[in-house]
Amino acid sequence: MKVSYQWLREYVDLADLSPEALADKLTSAGLAVDAVEPRNKGVSGVVVGEIVSARQHPDADRLRVCMVNVGTGEPLQIVCGASNANPGLRVPVALPGATLPGGVQIRRTTLRGVESNGMLCSAAEIGLETRLLPSAQATGLFVLPEETPIGEDIVKVLCLDDVVLDIDLTPNRSDCFSIRGLVHEVAAILRSGHSFPEHIEAPKGVGESPIAIDLATERCPRYEAQVLDGINQTSSPLWMQMRLMAMGIRTIDLVVDVTNYVMLEWGQPLHAFDADSIAQSQIVVRQAHDGEELVTLDGQKRTLTRDMIVISDPEKAIGLAGVMGGENSEITASTRRIALESARFDGSSVRRTGQRLGLRSEAQQRFEKGVDPAAISPALARATALLVELGGARPIGPSVAVHQERQAGDSRQVPFVPEQCREALGFAISNDEMEAIFHALGFGVHRQEDKWLVEVPSRRADVALTADLYEEIARLHGYDNIPSTVTVLPVTPGMRDRRQAMLAKARDLLVNMGMFEVRTYALTSPDALAPLSSPYRPIPLLLPMSDERRVLRTHLLPSLAEVAVHNLAHQVSGGAIFEIGKSYLTSELPLCAQPQEREVIAMLWFGETEGTLYEKARRYDFYDAKGVLENLLAALGADASYVRSAIPWLHPGRSADVVASGETIGVVGELHPETAKAFGIDRAIYAEIDVASLLATRESDMQAKALPKFPGSRRDIAIVVDRETLVGDLLRTVNKRLATSGLLQDLKAFDVYVGEGVPEGKKSVAITMFFQDAERTLTDDEIEQLVATAIDALHVNHNAQLRS
Amino acid sequence: MDMEALIVQLRRLQETALAKLTEISATRDLTNWRVQYLGKKSELNALSKQMGSLGQEERPLFGERVNEVRKAFEDAYLERQTALAAAEQALRLAQETIDITLPGRAIGRGAIHPISRVIQEIENIFLGMGFSIVDGPEIETDHYNFELLNLPKDHPARDMQDTFYLSDELLLRTHTSPMQVRTMERMQGDIPIKVIVPGRVYRRDEDDATHSHQFTQIEGLVVGEGIRMSDLKGTLESFAKALFGPEQRVRLRPSYFPFTEPSAEVDLLCVHCHGEGCRVCKGTGWIEILGAGMVHPRVLDMSGYDSTRYSGFAFGMGPERIAMLRYGISDIRLLYQNDLRFLAQFARA
Repeated sequence: MKVSYQWLREYVDLADLSPEALADKLTSAGLAVDAVEPRNKGVSGVVVGEIVSARQHPDADRLRVCMVNVGTGEPLQIVCGASNANPGLRVPVALPGATLPGGVQIRRTTLRGVESNGMLCSAAEIGLETRLLPSAQATGLFVLPEETPIGEDIVKVLCLDDVVLDIDLTPNRSDCFSIRGLVHEVAAILRSGHSFPEHIEAPKGVGESPIAIDLATERCPRYEAQVLDGINQTSSPLWMQMRLMAMGIRTIDLVVDVTNYVMLEWGQPLHAFDADSIAQSQIVVRQAHDGEELVTLDGQKRTLTRDMIVISDPEKAIGLAGVMGGENSEITASTRRIALESARFDGSSVRRTGQRLGLRSEAQQRFEKGVDPAAISPALARATALLVELGGARPIGPSVAVHQERQAGDSRQVPFVPEQCREALGFAISNDEMEAIFHALGFGVHRQEDKWLVEVPSRRADVALTADLYEEIARLHGYDNIPSTVTVLPVTPGMRDRRQAMLAKARDLLVNMGMFEVRTYALTSPDALAPLSSPYRPIPLLLPMSDERRVLRTHLLPSLAEVAVHNLAHQVSGGAIFEIGKSYLTSELPLCAQPQEREVIAMLWFGETEGTLYEKARRYDFYDAKGVLENLLAALGADASYVRSAIPWLHPGRSADVVASGETIGVVGELHPETAKAFGIDRAIYAEIDVASLLATRESDMQAKALPKFPGSRRDIAIVVDRETLVGDLLRTVNKRLATSGLLQDLKAFDVYVGEGVPEGKKSVAITMFFQDAERTLTDDEIEQLVATAIDALHVNHNAQLRS
Repeated sequence: MDMEALIVQLRRLQETALAKLTEISATRDLTNWRVQYLGKKSELNALSKQMGSLGQEERPLFGERVNEVRKAFEDAYLERQTALAAAEQALRLAQETIDITLPGRAIGRGAIHPISRVIQEIENIFLGMGFSIVDGPEIETDHYNFELLNLPKDHPARDMQDTFYLSDELLLRTHTSPMQVRTMERMQGDIPIKVIVPGRVYRRDEDDATHSHQFTQIEGLVVGEGIRMSDLKGTLESFAKALFGPEQRVRLRPSYFPFTEPSAEVDLLCVHCHGEGCRVCKGTGWIEILGAGMVHPRVLDMSGYDSTRYSGFAFGMGPERIAMLRYGISDIRLLYQNDLRFLAQFARA
């Protein structure tokens, strides 16, 4: 909301408070002032002058030589290029020595041999926003009204000594969408009085009003109208134009300008239309019919729906309430009588209508946020008075007002207990001080011992509850005066729950294993998910902003692949990344209930390792990923095994499901070449652990065992098996066979060899076993027996031959 | 033989042997020396055997001399041996010298994402104050995201254009505030409630240097009896000091959120200029970090806490903003681009 400092000053005594100081006070009270901008963009030395004569420049087709009276006796000769530099016009004249916006200095000069003593100015040249001016004034010389005093400083004429405060109003403070509201607010902040009138006496017309009003919808609580005739359709006075302009409103003509001016002043939107277009002189406010059509003032044919409110007569709609008038009731040069409307329409109806039709006017915004019922009549009276004064209009009869049986009162009473307020805010403030704040706000106070009733005027619709009164006290007493205290509460243990603690550990573990955490977008495109052939269809947004981000991901791999692609394209040769994030899964679309949000630790290794002195750069492979997983899962207390995976988007020979406690909790594998290609990367290894599954399979606390008292023995064997045989299966066989003995304490493969000395299609696997008994030293015979049993089991199950 | 002659021989032997010893510079030569001068067949032994030819009184005297020489030899030998060993070791060590400026064998170290880093740090501060952490769904219902937070349909503060809807009733949460209500419902009237809620949130904003359609928030909620607005200020001041240093101060400015009353914007002293006024704080000396307020009585009542008996405060902050201020990041998109050259700058533990 832009507000004119001078306009405020008209109603409230700002004494020597500068606009900047006022802005600080408003900001401290919760009306954040974003900018303080002088209207004068750097104009000085510009006065009003009248073009006495204009003749063609002897040497330039486009220039004219004007004689201009600036009230200093002899007219000045000024060369001008504007096409409207005609005798008789009063225009801004920049005298020699004048400054214009942008630091332009005006000097006495000679243009193609003709002396020029200054410059005649256009609107833009004196810093006016041409988009807010009628098109005729936007180009060429800025033409001032005939009665503008010659020689007067243009700064005074155009009220350029004003300053505009741009206030970022919070949605609850719709009352400050007007000079009236801001006057009350400033008066409350400064604890000074103000002279803004609560009531306006309108000039009374003779006889009866020629129109009748029928309120046929509940969504219009009150509707008032005044008919006027004899209006002189002229432009509004300069001071009004300049005030409108200061507050960002475009100047049109007297009638529109007056309605806008009163809207800015009172916060009450008004609408003027041709009174003679109303059939049977009967205004009907009703819901539109589905499919009803109306051509609005902008020339667009609108198709209406039943939830929109229309202003109509018994035959046709003539306007969309609160949004835009109809072309059929537009005021034109031939209009004899005008009807001025001041009403209150349901905010949400207006909002929906505006949204549906893509319209958002100043009036609409005020209806949406709610207008003050107490302003409806005075605003109409104010506009009537202005049209009478400035346009010579004559009111016909009094205004007509109708309202619903139940309508909002002019005030409401809110209970307030001073002691409770002090307790809620946590600072000391006297009862008298609180009462003074309420009075400064224009609230009435009925003190009944320690229980008060505070009478809040209808303009402050945001103050309805006791807590709202606390806020008024706090902000006008000053938030800066609130002390810092410590909450007195029972002691509570502050700790992460199991999942949070596990994820915090996982994050640290992965980082310490050289992985980089990433954070990616949950929104992606169906195309990005396509390579994964997921059984889940992604959940789409109703109103996406772009094609790239229009569905929720069903998997994290595409997000990580996107990171890999970005990095590989930016001189990063490879990396290991992870994200703790979610995918969003549903089996039914359209969505009816909150879907599953599956949390995973997703990891990706892409490109090459960083080469070092000790190990050359090489491509990441399956075992890099598996090593990290083994380390991670061991640290998190999950006993995992790896079985061949059937996931189609992974390499069939280089992928594994991660199984713990009989449940698949994740997967690790090289991307299928086709998948990798679809993502635009060469080769990458992906791994993923489901957080909920991991949490469910984690083993309970660690248990310590005493150290063995008797030495154990290690035995190594080398066997030859088929190339396809999985080492994991060999170990499982040995483990199973020797499990009952309880003596096998360690078992692992330490070498796998293919090549010379091993038959074609076979491989040699070296296995080490460690045997130990807690009670005694094992004999060689016993150990040989165990080894023989293992070899036998390997032979039976895997056709393994002992390698000599 | 007379003793005089033997003693002369002995002295000569001593001089010769010790002179030779000083010339020895290899262990092998030292061993030979030892065999030669201290071995069974040594001259010293041969001389000592001549003791028998001496008179009864002379024998002990001569024996003593021989022992003195032997002792001298042994001492000199040991000394020489030690010196040689030290020299040889010094040589070996010199030969073993490596370039200690070469890098160590890499134990790869990655980095926690700066946003996670900030979230963890903030979590730890509040954990220390006895808060617990709760997580909630990112796909919320209109009911929890808006209505139960005192934002009924058609509320002016609720703009369809700002929200990613998935259906009429489901949406991507626009803030972590729905967890205020979910937490109060879960606690079923128990007090005290002291929680923070970190999480991802979504808004229909075009991504640019200061906007991101996805970002994170940390919500805070305290509910109990007799909780005052000054407690909100005190809690946030403790937090600010813990996060940014003991000289921090907080400033509250009146503001508006539908689910708090009174509401406040919370400013901290500018982390760059500490209040002097600079480019970061646009000359004001303060930076806006949080939104906060007393839980709106309607929200308390809707969540099963009688607003005439209980009160509480809530606050919300943006880890992205804090990360950007703290690490001097000027474009929020850097946080979601995940360029490893950027992330590697956060490798410090």
